[in-house]
Amino acid sequence: MRPAGLRPVWLAGGVLTVLVALLAGLAFGSVSLPPVGVAAELLNLVPGVRLHSGLTEREVAILTQLRLPRVVLGLLVGGMLALAGAAYQGVFRNPLADPQLLGVAAGAGLGVTAVIALRGNAAGGDATAGLPFGVPVAAFAGALIALTLTWLLGAAGGRDRSPATLILAGVAVSAFLGAAQTFLMQRNVDTLREVYSWLLGRLATAGWHDVLMIVPYAAVTSAIVLAQRRELDVLTVGDDEATSLGLHPQRSRYLLIIAASLATAAAVSVSGLIGFVGIIIPHTIRLLGGPSYRSILPLSVLFGGAFLALADLLARTTGGQAEIPIGVVTAFFGAPFFIVVLRTSRSVAP
Amino acid sequence: MSDAPAVAVADLRVRLDGTLILGGVDLTVARGEWVTIIGPNGAGKSTALRAIGGLLPFEGVVELDGTPVERLHRRDRAKTVATVLQSPVVPPAMRVFDYALLGRTPYIPPLGRESAADLAAVADVLAALDLARFAGRRLDTLSGGERQRVFLARALAQGARTLLLDEPTSALDIGHQQEVLELVDHLRAERDLTVLTTMHDLSTAGEYADRMVLLAAGRVAAAGSPREVLTEAHLAAHYRVRVRVIDGERGPLVVPVRG
Amino acid sequence: MKRVFIAAAAAAALLFTGGCAGGDENSTGPRPSASAAYPVTVGPVTLTQRPERIVSLTPTATEMLFAIGAGSQVTAVDDQSDYPPEAPKSELSGFTPSAEAIAAKNPDLVVLSNDIDKISSQLEKLKIPVFLTPAATTMQDTYREIGELGALTGHQDEATALHERMAADIDKIVKAVPQRGAPLTYYYELSPDLYSATSKTFIGSIFAMFGMTNVADPADAAGTHGGYPQLSQEALIKANPDTIFLADSDCCQQSVQTVTARKGWNTVTAVKSGQIFPLNDDIASRWGPRTVELVQSVADAVVKVPA
Repeated sequence: MRPAGLRPVWLAGGVLTVLVALLAGLAFGSVSLPPVGVAAELLNLVPGVRLHSGLTEREVAILTQLRLPRVVLGLLVGGMLALAGAAYQGVFRNPLADPQLLGVAAGAGLGVTAVIALRGNAAGGDATAGLPFGVPVAAFAGALIALTLTWLLGAAGGRDRSPATLILAGVAVSAFLGAAQTFLMQRNVDTLREVYSWLLGRLATAGWHDVLMIVPYAAVTSAIVLAQRRELDVLTVGDDEATSLGLHPQRSRYLLIIAASLATAAAVSVSGLIGFVGIIIPHTIRLLGGPSYRSILPLSVLFGGAFLALADLLARTTGGQAEIPIGVVTAFFGAPFFIVVLRTSRSVAP
Repeated sequence: MSDAPAVAVADLRVRLDGTLILGGVDLTVARGEWVTIIGPNGAGKSTALRAIGGLLPFEGVVELDGTPVERLHRRDRAKTVATVLQSPVVPPAMRVFDYALLGRTPYIPPLGRESAADLAAVADVLAALDLARFAGRRLDTLSGGERQRVFLARALAQGARTLLLDEPTSALDIGHQQEVLELVDHLRAERDLTVLTTMHDLSTAGEYADRMVLLAAGRVAAAGSPREVLTEAHLAAHYRVRVRVIDGERGPLVVPVRG
Repeated sequence: MKRVFIAAAAAAALLFTGGCAGGDENSTGPRPSASAAYPVTVGPVTLTQRPERIVSLTPTATEMLFAIGAGSQVTAVDDQSDYPPEAPKSELSGFTPSAEAIAAKNPDLVVLSNDIDKISSQLEKLKIPVFLTPAATTMQDTYREIGELGALTGHQDEATALHERMAADIDKIVKAVPQRGAPLTYYYELSPDLYSATSKTFIGSIFAMFGMTNVADPADAAGTHGGYPQLSQEALIKANPDTIFLADSDCCQQSVQTVTARKGWNTVTAVKSGQIFPLNDDIASRWGPRTVELVQSVADAVVKVPA
């Protein structure tokens, strides 16, 4: 009997799906590019290769400066969000757990709103002052502040930071910060459109700046979470059992929460709030591939990234000549898919 | 230290939320013995077991195989004593084999994977508990009795020589109760294990224990052989129950009777 | 809310001006050079030849481009640019812009008033020149933008002429309105949930030409609402404006009847005397050549109010 774990077949499937998403994302867009030319240009990225692709300079720029960073960003952000969601579900033993639970989304939103409002109100401030320049930093800072508040609140009054207490603290912090954000938005009406656009999520990016910004976070947090996959499997049978088996459940839990929240804060700071990925992807993998975190975690990274990249492809090609916010696409396609999966499999609890 | 007792507890005190749950408990379990802790609800039986298993902070002395438990690294403690708690969490989709494999956690290095020896140990344990044919089954497809055996399998897979069982029969019907207790006794003999359990059902507890400890209000009220502890006087005083104690072949049997 | 968005987007640049009434906003600036030589540089944009495939993503710039005779150089405008009717309206969006869709039009100049989602830097990566022209807060801004577009498109002369014509027309309209003893007060409604614009906004500067007092000013005295506060019904009724101007007649179906029917409003002077004036929503939310019509509408309204 083989122990539960990552089957090579699933791993191959995940990698294949990522490649498909990558190629589809590069091949399709508002501007139609000949596939052969696209392939040639991609090969030209390899140093030393010099093929004639037949694409104009502008088309090459579209491919390498707009689409390529955007697709890569989608793969990274999707992977991080799915991984963070899976980690939270394991830590809290709750299928609806998501880093947004602990106030990360509310904090980031407040940070974004504050910086947009401040910038708009400064005397002499104008719309051309490099628009979302301070936004990623503010979103990240806001997310971390919210997480810290939840942490402190969860231990207030001498209570231990049990999962239930943390969730309650997170709900309280989210509500408070959300109200503050709404207040700011009401007082600074001209921030509404920009904040709203951030709230719905967007992967539009110019160049590799955003991608490079989150690669270190993605690498570190993924490493930390993936290293704890066995611990997560043991945690599913309870803290007491985990302790009696020689593990340190509290320490594993804190480490996982911090890593997952950092990953979410980084993703959210760059791409806005994109919902559903963190809940649907890990859960779907659990339903289809079994309950072990040794397969759920790595597959979440792969399939989460592919899902978001494909959703982004839809976001930028089905809206006519405008872009649909990606949060709308993930909800629109994610929810029904999840319902189908749920109905055709037996129930599982994380 | 082969003649050190498997478990040696002196002046064990446990406080929870400021309340003193255990107020100085002394207890010894010799290697190979079966000791059962009994007592009314709230006496602190489970608390004592959990403290000995390293799941609760405590004051006093707890030694396992002669070594104070606080000097044992977590993993070593897990290889020394295996605990099965009351109503463990049952992930419905987990397979029997994987649940039992959890018992090998202390042997698997932090970033490593299970070895062939680990897999063999699990296969062996499942066979011993007649669970081999259930190996691939989901936990939520098993009956209560079968699940209890799976919990035991996990504990045995830890390779520990001392078993702590908290209320191993409380969720089972009378047939399965006997089945589980017989199984534990059989394994004890076969694998040279030491068993410390808590039981609140007294009817057949006396047939399986070598010695008993009666806990009441966080202290030891009586200790000794089952015949010495299970007396009508003790039970009336601490359980406030009217009973008839019958001298069975394998030990005293307790039967509650109406007045 | 769309009203608010458009107006708010229009006010993304918040320059505090003195907000004073008077004629110096209508005087012409220094005459730009008559030669239409290329290369031409306006701010960060440099064009080496005349642009023939302009994409405009802001309705105001669309109107300006056509008014200075550059219409034949415009290849596509956004989905909100409905004036003039012959403008080549497309599905491009100025609010959720798609860099690729814009690039597909093969433009040699893109005109925007909002840099949403870093669209300008995305377009720059594709080597497409982007001219960012934020919303005006005074007529001077409008004239300047007309001049800049004139320089970029090689229609400096027409731009200057348009500027002079607009200034003269506005001057004439304002002078034709008799002076009043006491200034008229006005409430400018952006949306039925009582969002208004203060005198420090572009629209406020129009009313200031007639010496009118804006009842929304106290609600945004410190400028924290960026010139677009939401008024409370009580404060508004207490302020008792002489006139009410509706900029939400098209979007939100507001009219003389609906305002008169509002509970508690029957005590307001403007309602009692029937001095409620719906404006053309589009013209009121833009800052282009048709602003002259806006000034005319306000003048017509003011004249109707008995001295």
